[in-house]
Amino acid sequence: MTHIIPRYEFRAFAYSFDTIEEKIRSLSQEELSREITEIYLITAANSDNNIKIRNKKMDIKNLVQTKNNLEQWLPQLIGEFPMKSQVLEQEVFPSLGVSAPVFEKEEYSLKEFISKIIKEDPDVIAAHTKKIRHSFTINHCICEIAEVYVNGAFIKTIAIESEDPGLVTETKKLLGFTNEYENTNYPTAIKRIIGLEEWPHQYDW
Amino acid sequence: MSKEALKIGEVSKPRFEFRTFGQDFEDAHYLMSRLSAVVPEKVWERQSDEIYILSKTNDINNTKIRDGKMDIKTYVQTVDGFEQWNPLMKGEFPMKKEVLANEVFPAFQVEMPADIKDELSYDEFMTIIENHPDLQAVRIHKERYGYMVNDTICEVGDVLVNGAHVVTINSESTEVADIAKTIKEVGLEGVENINYLQMIKRVIGWINKPLAN
Repeated sequence: MTHIIPRYEFRAFAYSFDTIEEKIRSLSQEELSREITEIYLITAANSDNNIKIRNKKMDIKNLVQTKNNLEQWLPQLIGEFPMKSQVLEQEVFPSLGVSAPVFEKEEYSLKEFISKIIKEDPDVIAAHTKKIRHSFTINHCICEIAEVYVNGAFIKTIAIESEDPGLVTETKKLLGFTNEYENTNYPTAIKRIIGLEEWPHQYDW
Repeated sequence: MSKEALKIGEVSKPRFEFRTFGQDFEDAHYLMSRLSAVVPEKVWERQSDEIYILSKTNDINNTKIRDGKMDIKTYVQTVDGFEQWNPLMKGEFPMKKEVLANEVFPAFQVEMPADIKDELSYDEFMTIIENHPDLQAVRIHKERYGYMVNDTICEVGDVLVNGAHVVTINSESTEVADIAKTIKEVGLEGVENINYLQMIKRVIGWINKPLAN
């Protein structure tokens, strides 16, 4: 069995990161660019599980710990669609932090799951995302710039990851991230875009 | 009957509107800017911050709050694919319970909470919205660039929906034929007409449909 060492992660979201992005591109060649689509399952009740579906596979990342303001997540593959109701009931809905509905079928295709179960559940929102991810290595950390479309609306994210939290903190400084940049994971950013939570530095409306 | 000349930034009789949302309308924007008549400097570029109040049960009334003032428009009809919206009410905070009961909550098409005070401040109203399972406040920042093509009022806008960016382009007029001509000339024929309510519901995940691009 492969032993996964969870990485520590810093991630920020903004409409643009001009100077930080320039710095990343000046320090490293882009190593890989890829486009992926994912569906995030979002609830107001859950902050510690990152639940998403990519290529019909569902994985749940659990927040293991926060150290020096960096988050450590442990991914776990839940399964592939069609998915058994038992798995949805016993693993997925508890992770979402809401009660499971009554399932009428033994198993569900992805389309049935999204268009019947999730659509009918007032507490769960499916956020359809497209990400164009650009990878770099800086100071032995995995760095990523990504253009993200959440239900069609654009936002940018930059992440720094490493198994060594000290390196992540060093790299944050090196790239010019000040304390004003809050560490924001994907579920939190999506919650803020879909209006389940407020951004901390809200505009003065 | 001669048609009424539209003036940007001034009140006219109810207009029909084509509007859509997506990420890239660069070509249409270029054509719109080249075809545009000279427009007043005050509409070259405008910024505003608004709060839209979305209701899960309503698609025909559009409620927004700007500078503490509430403005509700109601859908009237669609002609040749273009929507006509009329002003339904304008109000200011503090707002009387009577106005909320007779105009605002009926527009949301939800029951008004029973234990409401005789008069509500803006913050008190927003707390009610926050606690209502079928209502949601959405923060919208707009940067709009105005044009005038074929006597229709046009704009391209950069819009932030709770901080995430979409682009909008529109043409509005009392004359449906002028809008049709305009959207054909800027290359938007066949593009879905998406109003603000629809766009916001799609972005916040209440409607599972994509934007125009």
